[in-house]
Amino acid sequence: MSVQMKQRGSGGGASKSRDLLQVTAQRSRQDSPPPPAGQPLPPLSVRAGEDNLRGGGGGRMGSGSSSLKHIPDGQQLMEETGFSAAHLLRLHERFDFLDKDGRGHLRPEDFEEIRELTENPIGGRIIAAFFPPEKERLDFPSFVRILAHFRPIGKNRSRDRAQPEQANSRTGKLKFAFELYDQDRDGKISREELLQVLRAMLGLQVTEEQLRSIAERAVQEADIDGDGAISFDEFKKSLEKVDMEHKMNIRFLK
Amino acid sequence: MAGLGSECSRRLAGCVSLLLLVFVAVIVSASPDAATGANETLRHPSGHSLDDSHDHPRNSSEHRKAFPVLAFNYEHVSKPFVISLWILLALLMKLGFHIIPRVSHIVPESCLLIFVGLLVGGVIKAMDQTPPVLDTKLFFLYLLPPIILDAGYFLPIRPFTENMGTILVFAVVGTLWNAFFIGGMMFAVCQIEAARVGHVDLLSCLLFGSIISAVDPVAVLAVFEEIHINELLHILVFGESLLNDAVTVVLYHLFEEFAHEGTVTVGDALLGVVSFFVVSVGGVMVGVIYGVLGAFTSRFTSHSRVIEPLFVFLYSYMAYLSAEVFHLSGIMSLIACGVIMRPYVEANISHKSYTTIKYFLKMWSSVSETLIFIFLGVSTVEGPHNWNWIFVIFTLILCLLSRVLGVVGLTFIINKFRIIKLTKKDQFIVAYGGLRGAIAFSLGFLLTDTEKKDMFLTAIITVIFFTVFVQGMTIRPLVELLAVKKKKESKASINEEIHTQFLDHLLTGIEDICGHYGHHHWKDKLNRFNRTYVKKWLIAGDRSSEPQLISFYNKMEMKEAMMLVESGSAAKLPSLASAASLQNAQQRAPPKQRAIPSISKTREQEIRKILRANLQKTRQRLRSYSRHDLFSDPFEDSMSEIRFRKQRVQMERRMSHYLTVPANRQETPSARKVWFEPEHKVYTYDESESPRDGAALETLPDTVSLLSESPQRPGQSSRLRKRGDAEQSANAPDSQEEPQKLSRCFSDPGPKEEEEEGEG
Repeated sequence: MSVQMKQRGSGGGASKSRDLLQVTAQRSRQDSPPPPAGQPLPPLSVRAGEDNLRGGGGGRMGSGSSSLKHIPDGQQLMEETGFSAAHLLRLHERFDFLDKDGRGHLRPEDFEEIRELTENPIGGRIIAAFFPPEKERLDFPSFVRILAHFRPIGKNRSRDRAQPEQANSRTGKLKFAFELYDQDRDGKISREELLQVLRAMLGLQVTEEQLRSIAERAVQEADIDGDGAISFDEFKKSLEKVDMEHKMNIRFLK
Repeated sequence: MAGLGSECSRRLAGCVSLLLLVFVAVIVSASPDAATGANETLRHPSGHSLDDSHDHPRNSSEHRKAFPVLAFNYEHVSKPFVISLWILLALLMKLGFHIIPRVSHIVPESCLLIFVGLLVGGVIKAMDQTPPVLDTKLFFLYLLPPIILDAGYFLPIRPFTENMGTILVFAVVGTLWNAFFIGGMMFAVCQIEAARVGHVDLLSCLLFGSIISAVDPVAVLAVFEEIHINELLHILVFGESLLNDAVTVVLYHLFEEFAHEGTVTVGDALLGVVSFFVVSVGGVMVGVIYGVLGAFTSRFTSHSRVIEPLFVFLYSYMAYLSAEVFHLSGIMSLIACGVIMRPYVEANISHKSYTTIKYFLKMWSSVSETLIFIFLGVSTVEGPHNWNWIFVIFTLILCLLSRVLGVVGLTFIINKFRIIKLTKKDQFIVAYGGLRGAIAFSLGFLLTDTEKKDMFLTAIITVIFFTVFVQGMTIRPLVELLAVKKKKESKASINEEIHTQFLDHLLTGIEDICGHYGHHHWKDKLNRFNRTYVKKWLIAGDRSSEPQLISFYNKMEMKEAMMLVESGSAAKLPSLASAASLQNAQQRAPPKQRAIPSISKTREQEIRKILRANLQKTRQRLRSYSRHDLFSDPFEDSMSEIRFRKQRVQMERRMSHYLTVPANRQETPSARKVWFEPEHKVYTYDESESPRDGAALETLPDTVSLLSESPQRPGQSSRLRKRGDAEQSANAPDSQEEPQKLSRCFSDPGPKEEEEEGEG
């Protein structure tokens, strides 16, 4: 929380440059190319509104359009994902920090250097989610696109609802989580996949039978059509009471 | 006609009982007089006898009175008698309200209770007696703690910590704003000539402001509990009412000290700020210390389960009292104690103790609440009043105004930091829910300056009445009108639990990738610390390493087993089990047909006979009579009945499968989690008499020795697992393990495993 507060404090002066960006974003919206193919994520539609560029109130750290120059396709990324310029800058800094050899793209080993991530029970899955199955390199736009899933939903909900395929809409977030479970990408979470997740999360403290019974019970609870696996719709339904839009957020990415 | 008749008779009964009780209360208050009168007459003869004590033996033969067969000596039971009668009266009132259904829908219980209090007080006063007043000591030491403990022990932690920032801002800044605004404006009002209250100085006004500004947890609980509002709003208002205690305490003491002095210097104000931090942090620390002590104590109570709840209550009460000794915030200490103690205590104590704690807390807090409201009514009638129109009216207006302004202003600032913004509807409910209650009254009662005290008290009572009656009554229709989201009644779902934990891990990971030390990062660190160090110290035995998901799952299974028992389907279990999963027997149709390999009838009979014989032997209970033992009730019997049946079925299935399928299974062995429930003192399995069906006799010694290693610790269980590996090559060890495996969770893993392997 304290990190956030500091950001709020510094720099309210970026608002003017922000408006400039909004204007330029609007103009360039029409001729922005569609997102490159080969991404494991569902295609993101180009945003219609600039509401997300506003985001919450408070300070925008850093300068305006000038620093975006060394981020390739900065404007387009901003529109697609809804991040503000300051956020993009910060993410770029982080990207550079992770990319120790200055190669311009990230590899799984770079992620594994983050110590806390190795202690995380599903750290491996998260890393794998960043990298599509055949590629071993992660460039900055893909990095940002995945992190866009964790952006809080903007103020004007009505416009968000018009684009249900948004990365940070409820469906987008659920889809991301679903794919973390569903490693073989067959569109269903089978009992085995659930068991793997449980094993990873609960580790050695639990007996195998208990894990199995929990997995069994979970599948039974969620499974409506009786195929013994959880499809995406069933997954959505079982989480309908969980306030996903508000849970799956990183405040930082606001 | 019959329906109408019963309605009328019920109403009549309600009214009659009410009148009766009022009558009784009056008599009780009147009787102390009679008792004192009787005492006096008693004293005189004893006085005489003392004088001529020397003559007494001589005179005894002359003045001998008859041996009293029946005597009336009310005096020496008068105090407990009166107390019990009051409590009884309060509870009968509570009962009575629900007999008259229509009224209790419109009017919240708190209003009705105050009304009754007014009635009783009025009647008592009419007979020229002095009714008991809501004594400050009585209130703060006996009536308030149960309510706060109940609230703190069952505080929903997740929403509370998620909204902690908002709650703190409302509690601290909001209360400060209220106090200073009301105090300042009242001082301005007092300057008006027409009010004739020019003698009230600024400090007294500020003192008054600090008393009346605090939102009261008792009133909020009483009203909000009935309207079932959504969790966020509930926790906001309620959390605020709990945490503003520190502010109230500091402000009250500060202004009270200096109301005598007359002036406040800047140094004093600074000391006040420091004092605020000391009071709040100190209160929390005291609560944490007692909470840890309580959790630690509960680790060793496995042999005396009966006194477990007492530890919880006493440690919490001590926390409250200790905080009050140092003038720290008792409420915060109590809350901290309950919150810290709960997860560890619940892991240690038996299920029955948990139920006991829950119901005792609810019971005490219910009684306290009822008594508080009734006494409030009685004190209103009794208390010396000094009604000053302008003072009271302005107080009322200013209270409302400052509340609204405070909430709106603070929300505007808070919304910049929140993900879930507070809408206008939410703000309205938060502002409207700022009820004042008995705490304000008691604090006012504590004032020493009699001249202004009466006027202040009158104003305080008026505000309390207004908020409780008007706001309390109208909040329910307003909630309906504004279509505020209500509390969602959702069943606990294991899916949600799994996914929530998964999300926690995911978000922590993403935060680490972004290099952002946010909310999840610290939560994860705290959980890790909790798991590695704290739990080892505070939780007994094997359960210290039990992850949260497992205990959640266990609780779910237990609940379902109980539901099965209650719905009476226990008898049908063995046959049901073959058709559908045991766990979801009542909920859904069998998901898929489980193909159980069929064996010949005679074989089956044989197996059943053997199994039955062995299982029955295990039911020998060795019980010694002792007053401190909890007797098993039929409910518990049927629960263990269920357990037995389940195991029997499992065993049957394993045996049948074993007999038909070649025994080259690669089955992952199970670590035997054997948990001896001490309260049952049972389960003396005679290992020597396990089925000798030609099956694994050689595995017996292993299993026996496994059992004897019963003190469970994670290291041990993994060791057991390894041993299980070693003997895998033998026949089906599982069939032997089944009767000996008393897992605490009613897991039914066996059949499914086998069928999957059999089919696949």
